[in-house]
Amino acid sequence: MQKLLVCYKWVLDEQDIKIAGDLSLDTGRAKYKISDYDKNAIEEGALLAELHGISVEALTFGTDAVKQSLKDALSRGLDKVYWIGDAASEQADAFVTANVLAAAIKKLGQYDLILCGEGSADTYSQQTAPRLAALLDIPAVTFVQKITVADGKVIATRKLGDCIEEVTVTGPVVISVLPEINKPRIPGLKQVMAAAKKPSEEVKVSELGIAAEALTAKVRAVSRKGYVMDRKKVVFKEAAQADNVAKLVASLAQHVLEERGS
Amino acid sequence: MPGIWIYSEDSTVARQLLTAGQELKKTTDQSVNVIAITDEAAQSLAGAGADKVYLLKGISAWPESYAGVIDELLKKEQASVVLIGATLRGKDVAAKVAAKLQAGLVTDALTVQFVNDAIETTRLMYGGLAICTEVVSLPALVTIPPRTFAEASETAGQGEIITVEVTNEDSRVVISNVCPIVREGADIATANRIVCVGRGLSKQEDMKLVEELAAACGAEIACTRGISEDYHWLPNDRYIGISGQKVKPELYIGMGISGQVQHVVGIRDAKIIVAIDTNEKAPIFEAADYGIVGDLYEVVPLLTAALQKK
Repeated sequence: MQKLLVCYKWVLDEQDIKIAGDLSLDTGRAKYKISDYDKNAIEEGALLAELHGISVEALTFGTDAVKQSLKDALSRGLDKVYWIGDAASEQADAFVTANVLAAAIKKLGQYDLILCGEGSADTYSQQTAPRLAALLDIPAVTFVQKITVADGKVIATRKLGDCIEEVTVTGPVVISVLPEINKPRIPGLKQVMAAAKKPSEEVKVSELGIAAEALTAKVRAVSRKGYVMDRKKVVFKEAAQADNVAKLVASLAQHVLEERGS
Repeated sequence: MPGIWIYSEDSTVARQLLTAGQELKKTTDQSVNVIAITDEAAQSLAGAGADKVYLLKGISAWPESYAGVIDELLKKEQASVVLIGATLRGKDVAAKVAAKLQAGLVTDALTVQFVNDAIETTRLMYGGLAICTEVVSLPALVTIPPRTFAEASETAGQGEIITVEVTNEDSRVVISNVCPIVREGADIATANRIVCVGRGLSKQEDMKLVEELAAACGAEIACTRGISEDYHWLPNDRYIGISGQKVKPELYIGMGISGQVQHVVGIRDAKIIVAIDTNEKAPIFEAADYGIVGDLYEVVPLLTAALQKK
């Protein structure tokens, strides 16, 4: 194991997105963040690099705003970040994203292990890792809860809802990690200061020799609307909680409790 | 000839997708075909109304190893729409196939239909905050979560089964130690009543409060991601949310849960949602049918006692 790469996405923080009265999304006050699931991928890369005394780099594809992510990313244990800031990312689907990332990885050179989060916090398509592997013609091991590197092999434990399995890969591999694999570090002042001195490098889409068709999304969003539930929203506000509980039980009796045992 | 194609390594899910495929067939008059990797699945799906079933037989039993074979078959058959079961294995295969076909793929679609010679889907984004309508150019791949459609019935017909010997081994990959996960207690995804606990519970010993309420109303116990992943007070298969379980109970009672969108997306299909939390501004009250603002340590024992009396 010589070189590690982590892919991450710089996304709008959904906690800051407001749903307007007409159900349109107000992203005006939304700040960006490193996609939560990708923080697990970065952490895993940093831990493996520390354990094996090797370097870990990262690659990200976004709009120009992606530059703002560099300091945060570098304070999380990465040695270097390659960033691609291009307007093409605004309409990019997983097809375009994987095409760009794969072309960039081919240009940057050979990596033994490429780590991704299980999905992104915004679109959660869960496609990047397996698409990348297919484009790079190397194996993908998805939904991994544990990674061990030994004798030049990567042993990954997958968790698939109803089963756990171990996958051993010889040679380069793309792995997507589950959030349970680790607890991402919270960078301290020292790490943040050190991040400012770490290198980052821009990679331009135009240098990657990608055909125009491969940069044109196959999946296009035609509308995005707030997804609101039609709920009763009755909050009981009596002074004594016993009264609130009595009212709640009476309300539930109308709907569900009488069905008990049926 | 262009057609609608269906694949899932889980034959129950494949039969659900067959229902979705038959719906699409009504608007396009394309054949609905299935890719199966076991004899049992091929038989079941041919009987359930598939026009044609390709039974792929390779040496490796790892479902993911069929991705490379499936993409070649779909290319040869000029598939126009491919519906794949959105199990984790299915999502892995779908993305690899989409990459090889240089095609678009929609993950976890809630609906899928033909509109103007393209596929239109809806799905959630921003952790369930928003619903996104998307148009996918053909050939289009779509993964559909289990239980989105009812299973196609066995009576519909007798499709042709074509068995193809394929090479699916990959010398770079070895699979070992495949262990089924033994669930502690019932599966919350199919539970009829759920009591769910969040970080409002201050220590693990207090799980007793949750257990007593669950016993009083005959519910299974679930939790938010923090309770299982950070605190490890409950197994991971007990947490509800975008990356955890999606539940559909008649009754959901949440306590000490603020109601972040990533959690709420997992309870959208609950019939009645009850929330108990100290913070009256907590988003959970916007997502609930009935709410009590208060300390769960006061409210929950009262509720347990009231339910025990019934």
